[in-house]
Amino acid sequence: MEKQSLPKSLNIDTLNLMNGMSLDENEIQHRKDWLQFDQSDEARLTELNEMAQGYADEVIESLYEHFLKFEDTQRFFEDPNILKRVKNLQKQYFLRLTKGNYDSKYIEERLKIGAVHASIGLDVKWYLGAYNFYMRAVATRLFKAFESKPEKALAAFFSLTKLVYMDIGLAIDTYIYQRESTIQRQQEAIRELSTPVLQLRKELLILPIIGAIDAQRARQLTEQLLHAIRDKRAKVVVVDITGVPTVDSRVANHLVQTVDASRLMGATLIITGLSAEVAQTLVTIGVDLTKIHTVGDLQGGIEEADRILGYQLIDSPADPSHLSSQE
Amino acid sequence: MVDDQVSIPILTDSDIVSARQQARELAKRFSFSSSELAGIAAAISELARNIVSYATQGTVNVSLIEEANKKGILVIVEDQGPGISDIPLAMQDGYSTSNSLGLGLPGVKRLMDSFEIQSEIGKGTTVIVKKWVLR
Amino acid sequence: MKVPILKQGNILIATIQSALTDNDLLSLQDNLAHQVIQYRSQGVVIDITELDVMDSFATRTLRNIANILKLRGAKTIIVGMQPDVAFAMVQLGLTLPDIKTARDLDEGLTLLK
Repeated sequence: MEKQSLPKSLNIDTLNLMNGMSLDENEIQHRKDWLQFDQSDEARLTELNEMAQGYADEVIESLYEHFLKFEDTQRFFEDPNILKRVKNLQKQYFLRLTKGNYDSKYIEERLKIGAVHASIGLDVKWYLGAYNFYMRAVATRLFKAFESKPEKALAAFFSLTKLVYMDIGLAIDTYIYQRESTIQRQQEAIRELSTPVLQLRKELLILPIIGAIDAQRARQLTEQLLHAIRDKRAKVVVVDITGVPTVDSRVANHLVQTVDASRLMGATLIITGLSAEVAQTLVTIGVDLTKIHTVGDLQGGIEEADRILGYQLIDSPADPSHLSSQE
Repeated sequence: MVDDQVSIPILTDSDIVSARQQARELAKRFSFSSSELAGIAAAISELARNIVSYATQGTVNVSLIEEANKKGILVIVEDQGPGISDIPLAMQDGYSTSNSLGLGLPGVKRLMDSFEIQSEIGKGTTVIVKKWVLR
Repeated sequence: MKVPILKQGNILIATIQSALTDNDLLSLQDNLAHQVIQYRSQGVVIDITELDVMDSFATRTLRNIANILKLRGAKTIIVGMQPDVAFAMVQLGLTLPDIKTARDLDEGLTLLK
């Protein structure tokens, strides 16, 4: 339901929403079938349009009177221009309910409105309350208008209920979809932040790992590190695990895998920050640490890396024939 | 709609290449990372190789699957070979890689998310593995 | 798919360009063994930049090649292994512990000189 105009900054990509929520023709029909909403409902609703035009203004007036009684909803309508605009949009929607053609265009419009409400931070409870207010207002008027034919009033009311439930379902799904998208984006951001592969100088990368490592993170760390080795043409990588709270056999075995994979690519991995206690525990439970090149702390690790890289640059003085090939 | 499954008969060493290439192409349609795709290809290569080395003929079936909010790949490798007499031994690390013929089964298990093996002496062996897309 | 072998000074360079069957790998082994003798090569660089899978057979064959060439007095260096290939290999338990590796062809050649 329109309660606030669409601010310019809110660019709702409805096509993306439709696709993201898999709302194709099949799904729309499926939702209608589930509500048992068919042609007869559409016909009954269309019949009401003329009547709805008669009472639309007063229903909307009383709805906003209700909204303005609550602080939480009041804050959305402080500007009288906004209030006027929103009332007008609300009226359009109210009349749209009895205009038929509840097709994908209609669905798209509902998603857009759901997305706007989610974006301005309107809780679902206000949304549902407003719909309930609506239904009561319309029911009273319907039964009054069809006083002699209550079964006709009931049938029309049921048709309206089905449509409104479909709209509510779409709006809530939009809320959920948007929230899930946000969570997913945040998770990706956290994942990226938690594996900063830093280039210290030419051919030297540093990877300080902070926080617990589970199987999934271990895998991502290795993938990112190996790709960074190739992309940045690293010769030595210092992996500092001071910030990893527990190093168990699984984490250790993973480190061994990463060391092996780096070596296969022609790079050397140095592990720093492995405490003596942890090293002892690992050896006791049978993890083979002989393959891992460890240095006490990050500083020592970088010095060792420089030594390896320096050795590489100066070459071996033991064999003078090598000197001729140096730049 | 492209078929979401392939079945590759394995008779010779060139079929091993074909099996891993077709499996990789199929798996690309789900959002596996590039290293997971390489892992899937390597696992299938190992399994197909066991057919060529031990059973002389068999089939690699690869299909895309969806299950309760997750997507993945299902690989069924079956042969009518001699069967494996000691499965626990075949699943031991080291048994596979140091042995010159190689079974590679524990490695395959590490590369995939689930691993099942059935074998009957004189009838053949079936290995069923799955790999799910993260998230 | 045959693997082309280039001769550069006293070094041989084998560049793997696409997916290899077991027989391709075995013929690479055979060709290198012969050419090392023929050209009296000191070293061999096997460039696997283009290779997208390494399974146990390929790994074993590379190890065999290195051992055969060692007997004939030549060093072997594997260069250009892709990150995804390396990761899949170590998960399979294949690590090539006794073979020299380098990041790319340039580095491999430098190490042999």
